[in-house]
Amino acid sequence: MAILDVKNLHARVQNREILKGIDLTINPGEVHAIMGPNGSGKSTLASVLAGRENYEVTAGTAEFNGKDLLDLSPDERACEGLFLAFQYPVEIPGVSTSYFLKAAVNAIRKYRGEPELDAMDFLKLIKEKMKLLEMDQSFMNRSINEGFSGGEKKRNEIFQMTVLDPSLCILDETDSGLDIDALKVVSQGVNALRNKSRGILIVTHYQRLLEYIVPDFVHVLRDGKIIKSGDKSLALELEAKGYGWLETVAA
Amino acid sequence: MTQTARPISADTDNSSGPLAVGPDFGRPWLAEFRQAAAKTFARVGYPSATDEDWRYTPLAPLTQNHFRTIPAAGAVSRDAIAHLSLASRGFYELVFVDGYFSAALSQTTGLSGLIEFHNFQGAAGGESDRIAKYLGHELPSGINGFAALNAASFSDGVFLYIPAGVTVDKPIHILWATTRHNHPVMVYPRGLIYACSQSRAVIVQTYADLDSDHPVFTNVATEVIAGRGSHLELIKIQRQALLGLHMANEAVHVHGSATFQSLAMNLGAVLTRNNLSVHLAEPFAQATLNGLTISAGSQRVDNHTLLDHARENCPSHELYKSLLAGNAAGVFRGKILVRPDAQKTDSKQTSKAMLLSDSAVMNSQPQLEIYANDVKCTHGSTTGPLDDEQLFYLQSRGVSAQQAQALLTYAFAGDVLDRIIDPAAREFISVLVAEALSRLHIAPVEL
Repeated sequence: MAILDVKNLHARVQNREILKGIDLTINPGEVHAIMGPNGSGKSTLASVLAGRENYEVTAGTAEFNGKDLLDLSPDERACEGLFLAFQYPVEIPGVSTSYFLKAAVNAIRKYRGEPELDAMDFLKLIKEKMKLLEMDQSFMNRSINEGFSGGEKKRNEIFQMTVLDPSLCILDETDSGLDIDALKVVSQGVNALRNKSRGILIVTHYQRLLEYIVPDFVHVLRDGKIIKSGDKSLALELEAKGYGWLETVAA
Repeated sequence: MTQTARPISADTDNSSGPLAVGPDFGRPWLAEFRQAAAKTFARVGYPSATDEDWRYTPLAPLTQNHFRTIPAAGAVSRDAIAHLSLASRGFYELVFVDGYFSAALSQTTGLSGLIEFHNFQGAAGGESDRIAKYLGHELPSGINGFAALNAASFSDGVFLYIPAGVTVDKPIHILWATTRHNHPVMVYPRGLIYACSQSRAVIVQTYADLDSDHPVFTNVATEVIAGRGSHLELIKIQRQALLGLHMANEAVHVHGSATFQSLAMNLGAVLTRNNLSVHLAEPFAQATLNGLTISAGSQRVDNHTLLDHARENCPSHELYKSLLAGNAAGVFRGKILVRPDAQKTDSKQTSKAMLLSDSAVMNSQPQLEIYANDVKCTHGSTTGPLDDEQLFYLQSRGVSAQQAQALLTYAFAGDVLDRIIDPAAREFISVLVAEALSRLHIAPVEL
């Protein structure tokens, strides 16, 4: 069974149609990349899948591990195993990363009928993952993303992703605002999550990230539709020729 | 002996029921003080809605005539005030019932070796002279009619004198409880706190009603002097019944190198008006004014503060936060006055309101009056509902919408709680906040 099966998905924001019929299937173990110029609908697709408010699905379906994804609230989607790494992670003063992450881990465990983790077990879990993302322990006591640099925020996203262990990871422009060192650390974290059962969807404007996280499939989104799909070589071709080249492809 | 308040006839058309001159405890100075205040009230009357400082506060409920003064303390058992007591948390405790000091209910073991504390009625000659010297000095009756009414009418009051260099080992709790009466009543809590140089103390004042069926109008006046190099944390907990009315005039004089910090917690009463004025009188005096309001229903809380920077090199910080649900309304009006001699003033004022319903409203008004040229003054205010983007972020990690709301609400209040210096005070106020939020159906969160 596919992890994600999207058919003919249409969505709009404030009466403006952005997604105009997306078809996308992600099977266990696959890494997909969605590329496209600004305004093509990449981030909208990520937001619609995660259940962000004010995005209205007008047609089509999306199944997540066999369930109707569109029927679930954002927290239910997360509990079912979907994770969105934000393009712009929000700062939440007054809520420590550690408190929040423990609440998230236990909300998900409760949803799945598993016993909640106590403080000791939780600490053990996160220590291991922090090492992987080269994060300092003090991170956990700081308010969520407050005063973090762009790179720290993205690293925090991937760190949370590794802790929550989702079946589908959606990375929305994770490479934006990252220097090369941060990009390597983040990629390393994502690559460590690659396995036979997980699906990964990378939304990106640039090919750069895909040098580090090599996708199995690349899709080109333009004006709310996937106009071309291929393997990783498609990303290189896009890099070489630019999105303008697709005008001819589309025609 | 309890003395009954004697009504006087004021010689103006502004006279009204509340003006009943209180007892003088056989002290001529007090009789004089009260008569002067009564005259002042007759002259200034109640504030009027055309007065810029008062035009946002609905005055009608406060100026009605049906409140009666309380001639003697009502009977109250220790159990009846147990929920208000902080003695079990190790605080010293002075209890006033219906405005009258109750030695039996107070817990002062160990305190008398450290500081002088008296109720006005019980103060002996020398102590009474000291009260005479300071009373009304920081808070002249003329500032407004409510302050004048308090001065003319208070039934008793508290005087704390913290000698130089003394550190009071535990917080002092002054509990002002009003008992059950079968009609609307008014009480006039009066406090005078003198912290001598290099002393340290934490003082908590609680205002509470044991009667939730009839309105209690609590008209507070507090005067504080923070001596040179002293550290004073003054916490006010307003947890009156929902029918209650609360008016407070508080004035603080901060001497050089002293550190003064206040917290105004507004939880109860249908109408609250706080006037807090802090005078930074000498160089290197510091003031931090914090406020936290949690309101719902038709509650209304107006916080007016004045930071008066008289001299150079004084930092001041101000953070007032309001959580407003239902039809609650709030006002924050913060004035920062920087006088010509107050160079190198560093003042930061922040007012934040979180609206938990569409019909809650907040009105924030900073007022900067600056007459010095080398100063740093900033102010900022934000008002709005819970942040959708923050809610979505939390939910996207599996946290339910309800829990996400609770987290953000607690974080909002926690910002103020974190600033409370005294850990024991912080702990019990956190409990009060959790209780207040649970009344708004917000699930408990221990951040």
